[in-house]
Amino acid sequence: MKSIVLCTENIEKRFGGVIALKDGSIEIRPGEVLALVGSNGSGKSTLTKVITGVLSSDGGTITYHDKPVSYSNPMAAQRAGIMAVYQELSLIPSLTVAQNIWLANEPKTRFGSIDSKTMNAETAKLLTLFEGTFQPSLHPEAYVRDLPLDERQIVEILKAYSRKPEVLILDEATASLDSKQVNCLFDLIQLLKSEDKGLVFVSHRMDEIFRIADRAVILRNGKTVGEVLIADSNEDEIVHLMVGSNVGLTRELGGRMTFSAQESVLIVEDLENEQLNGVSFNIKQGELVGIGGLRGQGQSSLLHTLFGNSHYTGKITLFDETLSFDHPKEAIEHGVALIPGDRATEGLLLLRSIFENFHLPNWAKYCRPLLKMKSAHSDAEEMGKQLNLIMESLDAPVSSLSGGNAQKVVIGKWLLREPKLLLLDDPTKGVDVGTKSEFYKLLVKLQENGTTILFYSSDEQELLDLCERVLVMQDGKVKADLSGDNLTEANLVFHSMGATNNNNHHEESTHA
Amino acid sequence: MNDTNIQNKKRFTISPPVTALIIALVLFLLSGLLPNGFNDWASALRQAMNILRLASFIAIIGAGQTLVIISGGEGIDLSAGSLVSVGALITYILINGNNNLILPVLLLVLLTGAFVGLLNGLGIMHLKISPFVMTLGMSGVVQGTVILLTKGYYDGKVAPIMTQIIARDLVPGIPGMIFVWIIIGILMTLLLERTRYGKELFAIGVNRVTARLSGVRVTRMVVLTYVIAGALAAFAGFLLVGYTQNAGPNLGNQYLFPSIIAVAIGGTQMSGGKGSYFGTIAGAIVIQLITSLLTTMQLPQALQQIIFGSLLLGILVVYGRDKSLRA
Amino acid sequence: MPEQNKSKIALWWRNLNVKHSLGLSLILLVLTTVLYFALQPNLFKSGTVSHLLTSNFRTWLPVILVTVGQAIVILGGGLDLSNGAIVSVGNVILALTVTTVDEPGKNILMVLVVIAFGIAAGFLNGFFTAYLGLQPVIITFASSFVYSGLALLLLPSPGGNIPREYTTFYRSTQFLGIPLALIVIVLIALIWTFFRRRKYGQFLFAVGGNDKAAYTTGVPVTWVKISTYVISGFLASLAAISYTLLTGSGLSSSGDDMTLASVTGAVLGGISMSGGAGSVLGAIFGGIVLGNIRNIISTLKLNSWWRTLVNALLIVLVLAGPGLINLLRRKKK
Repeated sequence: MKSIVLCTENIEKRFGGVIALKDGSIEIRPGEVLALVGSNGSGKSTLTKVITGVLSSDGGTITYHDKPVSYSNPMAAQRAGIMAVYQELSLIPSLTVAQNIWLANEPKTRFGSIDSKTMNAETAKLLTLFEGTFQPSLHPEAYVRDLPLDERQIVEILKAYSRKPEVLILDEATASLDSKQVNCLFDLIQLLKSEDKGLVFVSHRMDEIFRIADRAVILRNGKTVGEVLIADSNEDEIVHLMVGSNVGLTRELGGRMTFSAQESVLIVEDLENEQLNGVSFNIKQGELVGIGGLRGQGQSSLLHTLFGNSHYTGKITLFDETLSFDHPKEAIEHGVALIPGDRATEGLLLLRSIFENFHLPNWAKYCRPLLKMKSAHSDAEEMGKQLNLIMESLDAPVSSLSGGNAQKVVIGKWLLREPKLLLLDDPTKGVDVGTKSEFYKLLVKLQENGTTILFYSSDEQELLDLCERVLVMQDGKVKADLSGDNLTEANLVFHSMGATNNNNHHEESTHA
Repeated sequence: MNDTNIQNKKRFTISPPVTALIIALVLFLLSGLLPNGFNDWASALRQAMNILRLASFIAIIGAGQTLVIISGGEGIDLSAGSLVSVGALITYILINGNNNLILPVLLLVLLTGAFVGLLNGLGIMHLKISPFVMTLGMSGVVQGTVILLTKGYYDGKVAPIMTQIIARDLVPGIPGMIFVWIIIGILMTLLLERTRYGKELFAIGVNRVTARLSGVRVTRMVVLTYVIAGALAAFAGFLLVGYTQNAGPNLGNQYLFPSIIAVAIGGTQMSGGKGSYFGTIAGAIVIQLITSLLTTMQLPQALQQIIFGSLLLGILVVYGRDKSLRA
Repeated sequence: MPEQNKSKIALWWRNLNVKHSLGLSLILLVLTTVLYFALQPNLFKSGTVSHLLTSNFRTWLPVILVTVGQAIVILGGGLDLSNGAIVSVGNVILALTVTTVDEPGKNILMVLVVIAFGIAAGFLNGFFTAYLGLQPVIITFASSFVYSGLALLLLPSPGGNIPREYTTFYRSTQFLGIPLALIVIVLIALIWTFFRRRKYGQFLFAVGGNDKAAYTTGVPVTWVKISTYVISGFLASLAAISYTLLTGSGLSSSGDDMTLASVTGAVLGGISMSGGAGSVLGAIFGGIVLGNIRNIISTLKLNSWWRTLVNALLIVLVLAGPGLINLLRRKKK
């Protein structure tokens, strides 16, 4: 077996009270591609960010070239030769391709000025690595702001490559590339392999892992749960390691109901915008429909579009009325509510009190024209009790609450309006287990009271436990509509990952 | 109440407005120790009333400023100074000593201020001009218009009723202006704390994304706030001329920076979303006391500017620790 | 072939626009200059043009200098509302201390003091905004009060008398027929070109374009940001020197109007207010355009009561320009 260039042992990382990583252990060997596999929230990204110094760890050790290290910022890691290509790009739109690639690493002329000629020539040379896979508009002097996403990703990859890293981490670097571009990237990876560099490949695409990786480490719930040699393994084995013993678990809360007889209350046809590529589906009165798939496949955008927060083309029919919201206010007036994904930036007014947060969408109800504070106060009090909200007082700032309790406030402000259609954008992210189960009960109760619910979650288990139907999204489209017996974790994962091997999960579950 | 452990165990913290009031008290007592300070209760009271009366103008000009700063987005109204001058000039010239003209002229003053505020708001929200730059530019436009319209010559007179109410004592020992101030203070506090507008104003100041996703029409709110601020500044000019009895094209400029500092001292966060009019009142009193102290100590006016500037820098650094102000 | 010619020009033009955002400011420069000269009655008499150039450039130099400083701050993603006040302080210091030609040593020392003050004031701005991470607009607004208060403290009422020898030197020094002010401008442009091609230039644009990405790539973001305020302070002190030489006296509010003028000049020069796009050359053009427009207004012999309003309207319209263009573009879509 080859020597180890970098290894991590028992890395831990907490965000507030939430444990993102409990036991992240990997070994990177020179001349080998290590695939890091796991479902949403399993801790892959956290682990890579700890290695590259973007995040600091709360425990565990990193050993690099046989010495324990810990980097406090990405620059330090880069100087040591550890480089990463992230999904969130680190490019500067107002600079050219060459300027971006060589930023802070510029070649100089004899006189100390930047050698643009060499820079452009070197960039052109680098670009030949991806020759034929991009438009002629991508050249060394093109501005990054004018490039489409896939070409930006190529620039990002070349930027990391040009710095001659010892260890290169590719975090979902293929997500926006087409197959030809992926081939070029793989050639590049092979090249680095032959130079004995250490490579980490994080991807959700199973076929790619089998094409390029030599080994795979599987993470589940922040723990390293297995390591396999790709040559001796298959997709099923990896999926099983990813989902653990949960395969086949069915809904615990309430029984699955059938809605075939009910009327559709929400009909969506050909919804398109920057993130959506023609989404169509319909939902029946009182249904609790999940939205699944990998992160960032248009799920949030879909919910925001339904809520009147983005422009779109296509047709939305809600309660037999064709809608064209151009502000969330109109959606709210039609009985729609959105519980957004990021509490701090989209859901809460952190400086303000719990009381004011509860009532932000509701003040109109208390206008006489001075606000009736007493009745507003008692309504908020009531809602706090109903949600079992643990707080010092209603007037305490909402920032004094724990993550779970803060999320209850975000939910409570909409429940006060008794919405008819409730949209949820990954609401249990960073919420503790106790609050989660309270939240599940609440959803079921709402559904029993006739609220129609559309529920995006990055946690597959949650979708399986709660929903009678799940729409799996990929690339801004509904890839699969799973319900009944087809709604299993294996199926969900398979459709999310875009797995291609021809097994029966796939066949059964696709609705025409 | 089933939760018995929710007792009132409030942590011991002093809010910025209360701190400002304590500072004001200390400054006031200090000013009494000066050679030409007060030496008996009667003169102390007289002195206090005088300070309050002068502070009232800063605080009323600071009213609109408070709203604009709470609205966030680097909000500020640097056109307030010239709007005060305009309000004062319109009142002075058009009323010309006629009591019957008070109401129509007041309406014109408010509309003028509101119109300039509207332009500010539209420029900031629709043309994406930084509030500082936009309102500073508008301040020049307003001033230029005044110069053009008056051609340097203006003549008029304040209505007798205004003099009666604003400049004289309404109750023996208490100037009428103080009552006007109290009414404005109550209205402003009600506006901020007990109306939907106030609640939504705080919301857009904290987080415009959350506000929008909760159904607040952010653009409309911001523009409306600049309109109200403009009208309030012009109204302050209307009151001010009642006190000074004389107007001029630069009357309001000296109040602009003090009114901004007053808002900051009162604990209104310069990045928006938090604050009160009570705080601005307390801040105005502190500012007026500092001014009076410097005057009695016969220190140059320039020192006042330096102190105020450093004060604002200091407040920004202290409150700047709050994350929301950081980039 | 004419077609090929055309495309070559088109390419050059595109390059000018995309790479340096200079297109619009160049058009404005030519237009306003032509208009200005067309309005001169004695244009074809000998010496008129060169006289106009000389007198104009020395009048414009202070504003052009602060505009260049402002442009660099904006390029780095900030805004400096205190540069005018720094000019005032410098002007006041010189007016108070430089009173005779008999003490050249002392005079040079005072010039150095003014420059040192500009750099220190700029550093203070940079420290508060870049190091402590506070909003540049409100910080420089607050510090401008400290600086202008200082100017007022030093010189409560207008006064001071710069020796005639010095003002004459500023007014009539020429080198190969080029007036001193224009030489300074060309020098600034050359220094800019020098740094633009070095790491510093690259870092400046990177920080203004996206400071987070620049940070992860290894650019010393805080230092670059602080440096922009230092440069702005330095150029403001040079503006103070040239303003003092121009007027020969001191005024505590001398720089008041320069703050907005510098922002306006930068916008006219094609500098994007959101940072990371534009060119200092453009800022110089912008400063000249602003001067041209003011000259045109004054040759129109407008009633003097109009002057303040027209100048203020001009500034607001220029500031509104980019926003208006965007708004119209979006409407078209």
